[in-house]
Amino acid sequence: MGIEVKNLTKKFDNKTVINDISFKVESGEILAIVGFSGSGKSTVLKLICGLIEKDSGIIETSGDIAMVFQYSALIDSLNVEDNIAFALKERKDLRKKYTERQIKNIVKEKLALVGLSGIENKYPSELSGGMQKRVSFARAIVTSPNIILYDEPTAGLDPVSSTLIEDYIVRLKEETHAASIVVTHQMSTIMRTADKIIMLYNGNVVFTGTPQDLMRQDTPYTKQFVTASLEGPMTMLQN
Amino acid sequence: MRDFSLKSTITYKLYRQIILQLEDFLSTIGDIVIYGKEVLSLIFKRELDWKAIIEQCARFGVSSLPITLSIVGMSTVIVAMQVAGEMVKQGAGNYVGMLVTILTVREEGIIMSGFAIISMIGSSIASEIATMRVTEQIDAIKVLKVNPIRYLFVPRVLSGILMMPPVLVVASLVGIIGGGVAAHLASELSYRAYFESVWTGLFIKDINVAILKSIVFGFTIALISCVCGYNAKGGARGVGIATTKAVVWSFVGIVLWDLLFSIIFFF
Ligand SMILES: Nc1ncnc2c1ncn2[C@@H]1O[C@H](COP(=O)(O)OP(=O)(O)O)[C@@H](O)[C@H]1O
Ligand SMILES: [Mg+2]
Repeated sequence: MGIEVKNLTKKFDNKTVINDISFKVESGEILAIVGFSGSGKSTVLKLICGLIEKDSGIIETSGDIAMVFQYSALIDSLNVEDNIAFALKERKDLRKKYTERQIKNIVKEKLALVGLSGIENKYPSELSGGMQKRVSFARAIVTSPNIILYDEPTAGLDPVSSTLIEDYIVRLKEETHAASIVVTHQMSTIMRTADKIIMLYNGNVVFTGTPQDLMRQDTPYTKQFVTASLEGPMTMLQN
Repeated sequence: MRDFSLKSTITYKLYRQIILQLEDFLSTIGDIVIYGKEVLSLIFKRELDWKAIIEQCARFGVSSLPITLSIVGMSTVIVAMQVAGEMVKQGAGNYVGMLVTILTVREEGIIMSGFAIISMIGSSIASEIATMRVTEQIDAIKVLKVNPIRYLFVPRVLSGILMMPPVLVVASLVGIIGGGVAAHLASELSYRAYFESVWTGLFIKDINVAILKSIVFGFTIALISCVCGYNAKGGARGVGIATTKAVVWSFVGIVLWDLLFSIIFFF
């Protein structure tokens, strides 16, 4: 089991941002949550990892949850090594588990996994956006999580960096056999990573299916999304 | 078309603003108490990260010293210059050192150091933590299951408690010495006369109260700055608002403590 969400609802003030949604992600599977800005995608991830409280519904998760933030959210006062080792050095149940040398080796191994060997002593501000993103991947997987959540991992990156990130998402899934959720509105990311997709609009699930189903464009929602059209059931005026 | 609904009236907007401000005021007080308790309980449980604490202490002591020394030193010099001439003329030259010392130890030294620390350390703590909040670094810390209060608050608050007393002592010493130089230049009062009377103005009780005050002030400034930064919302604007709030609340906080101390110990 990975993640199971049933009838999840969340309001901010009096506005329903997530409206009775349900879905399931098995271990070793990648779910893409797609939808326009403001449709509630980040809120779903924050509910799953416990950063915000749900109003009603059930969220079942198994094991450790890792999250990759949209803007990486590396701690800018720490270098790459200390960022990646953060949980190992600061988390109560892990603090005394590893020696300094073991930690160094773990960091080295995770950095190699995201193709960034040898940058341990650099600070986040010295790295490009794509590199920061990959360091944040390494930080997320350092505790061998069973669940990995990615918030718009390819937003703002050039196409080649995006491809690289997409490959790492698939690779991390294969390495860790985690249940993953990728929030995105980029077609390339959906096609390269997702096993299945849900589309959110104003907090409602308006489409569930595979990437192939999405490309078939046989509902008004999928058609509008894939063609990035202004015409269709989804308007951006609510926000 | 004009909007005549209740929500558009000026009175409604005014009341709403007042209520929002009041809500924010009360919730800030609540947060300061809640986080203050948690920080103290972590300190008493020895949930300490000495490397981080030493780093913060160095920042607190080293970066604040120049400005603290200038502010405390100058305000003492100003007082000495203004009173020395007159007192010497009136034949009270032997009391200049005593007066400057009492004033510095009881009030000037601590309140001026407090103001200096707020502007140097409080504002930088608040803007740093606020930036971490708005760039989701604090969310990242939480998702990694690290307690942000232990990681961010404890080293900063503890550095306030540990470093404020030495900063105060050094600043007061510099102030008293500077006062002597100023008095000498302003009225040709001899150094000997000044420093001999300094001793008569030094009371153990005053020194103890000053040290106690400095501990409480250091705690208050660091805690309020952490809390204001931690509760920041929004982007760059939110960081600015949080920093201003930290500075204003710290000022009010230490002045209130000062009043309370005066009532308890000198009333
Ligand atoms: N902390 C919050 N307080 C109030 N409203 C929020 C908060 N977080 C998100 N929202 C609102 O919830 C809606 C969904 O936001 P979000 O989940 O960030 O969308 P997405 O990630 O799909 O762009 C938006 O209308 C946003 O304004
Ligand atoms: Mg989002």
